[in-house]
Amino acid sequence: MNMIKSSRILMCMKWQNSMFAKRVLRDVFSGTKRNASYTIQQHKHDCLVIGAGGAGLRAAIGLAEAKFSVALVSKLFPTRSHTIAAQGGMNASIGSMHEDDWRWHFYDTVKGSDWLGDQDSIQYLTRNAPNCVFELENMGMPFSRTKDGKIYQRSFGGGTIKNGKEIAKRTCAVADRTGHALLHTLYGYTTKFKNIDLFSEYFVLDLLVQDEVIVGALALDMDDSSLHSFQAKNTVIATGGYPRMYFSCTAAHTCTGDGCAMAARAGIPLQDLEFIQFHPTGMYGSGCLMTEGCRGEGGYIVNSEGERFMERYAPKAKDLASRDVVSRSIATEIRQGRGVGPKKDHVYLQLHHLPPEVIRERLPGISETAWTFTGADVYTQPVPIVPTVHYTMGGIPINYKGEALIHVNGCDKVVCGLHSAGEAVSNCHGANRLGANSILDVVVFGKAIGLNIAKIANPGAKQPDLKKNIFDPALDNLNKVRNLHGSTSVHELRESMRATMQNKCGVFRDKKLLCEANFEIQKWYRMFDDLRMTDQRLNWNSDLIETLELQNMLQTAVQVVACALNRKESRGAHFRDDFPKRIDEMDYSKPTKGQTAKPINQHWRKHSLSKLDLKSGKVDITYRPVIDKTLDNEVETIPPVPRVY
Amino acid sequence: MLRGRSVINAIRKLQAFTLSSDTTQHVDTTYMEIPVYDVEKPQTLEKRKARLHYQSRKRGMLENDLLLSTFAKKHLDGFTENQTMMYDRLINSPSNDWDIFYWIIEKKPTPKEFDNEVMDLLKKHAKNENRNALSQPPLY
Repeated sequence: MNMIKSSRILMCMKWQNSMFAKRVLRDVFSGTKRNASYTIQQHKHDCLVIGAGGAGLRAAIGLAEAKFSVALVSKLFPTRSHTIAAQGGMNASIGSMHEDDWRWHFYDTVKGSDWLGDQDSIQYLTRNAPNCVFELENMGMPFSRTKDGKIYQRSFGGGTIKNGKEIAKRTCAVADRTGHALLHTLYGYTTKFKNIDLFSEYFVLDLLVQDEVIVGALALDMDDSSLHSFQAKNTVIATGGYPRMYFSCTAAHTCTGDGCAMAARAGIPLQDLEFIQFHPTGMYGSGCLMTEGCRGEGGYIVNSEGERFMERYAPKAKDLASRDVVSRSIATEIRQGRGVGPKKDHVYLQLHHLPPEVIRERLPGISETAWTFTGADVYTQPVPIVPTVHYTMGGIPINYKGEALIHVNGCDKVVCGLHSAGEAVSNCHGANRLGANSILDVVVFGKAIGLNIAKIANPGAKQPDLKKNIFDPALDNLNKVRNLHGSTSVHELRESMRATMQNKCGVFRDKKLLCEANFEIQKWYRMFDDLRMTDQRLNWNSDLIETLELQNMLQTAVQVVACALNRKESRGAHFRDDFPKRIDEMDYSKPTKGQTAKPINQHWRKHSLSKLDLKSGKVDITYRPVIDKTLDNEVETIPPVPRVY
Repeated sequence: MLRGRSVINAIRKLQAFTLSSDTTQHVDTTYMEIPVYDVEKPQTLEKRKARLHYQSRKRGMLENDLLLSTFAKKHLDGFTENQTMMYDRLINSPSNDWDIFYWIIEKKPTPKEFDNEVMDLLKKHAKNENRNALSQPPLY
């Protein structure tokens, strides 16, 4: 039995070097341990990367280049990661279309985050953007080109030059498939490294914690339900966001917040979970995304009166204002009765006034998607759209190096052994993310993690022996989930959770709705113990995997609602009808001379950190101040001002 | 003793070479060939279908999630071994999920190796003649 398993592992890992093979064999034979009735196969590497999307692959490349041995574990084959869905592009101030400066990009991102983003991380992001783009170009990423051969850049929501004076063309694009090009390039690059072992279609159950240090993770091989422990001195979580807890969202069904829930179970408070970005142009009914590039190429949004209403809400930027501004404008129009359709619950996106060649060349996929999911022909009709969850700003708190943080005694302290990047984290985007900054963020911080781990660790460093009872919490949970024999079906509970989040914790929030949401989500949280597991098979048990994902989503959703109810102000993507103003330490709409700054417990310009008690479902909220100080004096801290476009 | 030292040095050089990440120096990186998912691995039909159900529900983007999961719920359990293999190759060989989407909605021509009865069934399914709002079906 062990011989077959180990030879299968050898084939999967595509070993060509007998030195590595001997090391693995040694680990499998001598390391097989028994825990209760489970056999766990042990793997030991220098680094473990959980998630093989843009951030995970870029981190793995950086680590492999620094000669670490890397285990890359993902519940999907790498090219099926959600990074592939990105259509717009990545922001970088390389200046192919006009003069550009990373400091203008810095200003746009700080303003977009509504002064909740950590300015040192934002400086790191925007300053390193051009280098990262050129590096990707050298790796073979086929960017679209201008007539002069420079990288083609288009305009995107919130991007300006000269600190808000004019619209910028800063988004480097690969037609409308930037995400796929990035993933293909990065995955191809990882296969050239002999020290990256890919374990695809393994579902990570939990992080392993020993003496307050993260020492690895426990995963389930979906092929035969065997358990694998991945011990590593440094773990990287790059598992993506949690938009799937909402009914209407543009993300694939894989985005279930697994990494965030894992970190929460390991005792790490999650940051700013209440900030959920609603994309203004999601197709009504299915949730599929109409890229912002449509508006970047000249399309605009109309209400039932045929009015281009964005001119009223954002006179300068109009339809290219920041996404939360556009979503709220659409929601306001619908609430005030100017929606279209039989239920008057959505609006239209109009493209048919543009020349057909522009739609065909610059936005090739749009016409087919619109036809299949809504039946509208973009060349002659407007497309029905509604604000849909697109991105989740909240997640694991990190600093500009990618290290996970906790906040004790008023100071940020690094969690030993854990880094994180991508949508699973919260640092740069603050209260709202600018379009085309996410694809940039995954590459920049994926690279930062590679650089940081190379500084703080050495390849082949000695690792402690794992204690025998380290797997108990994860195994107890797995046992419990496998033996659920209640009366509720997984599908029903998932739909109930999604409906609660969409209707009561959506674009518009007020105390009454959020209290109802809190009551309901706590009910669904407790109802998890009453679920019924239908499938007990050992090979490719989708029922088990989806139930574990639902558990992750519930554990995160409870915290989202608690944080939304707790934050009594409106900032960025979090808008409350009953507290419509932004509450900072000073009133920045007036001159600040003569004003005294309020203490941190009397204003809301701070990160909320939420901790979940797994047994009771109770959420404990603490705070952490926003980092305003920039990394160095290449750019000055931007003080808050009222955020208008 | 000298022989021992030269052997140790040789092993060190071999280690350095094998661990070296300079392997990309001699590789043309403008065209990246990436590994294809191994569909030919021997497995029982039941196991293959269970895997395909999972892989139809978990794709890279929502559009394929909706089309493939609704299609798999309708047709996959009734497929013969041959049809199952065709479906397996179709959804697991291409690297770009968007390509599969464009072939299904007939925006791009289907390559010869995937142009078969399963593809035709998929195309018919995507035409959505009943004008249903697509959403992922429950497993049971």
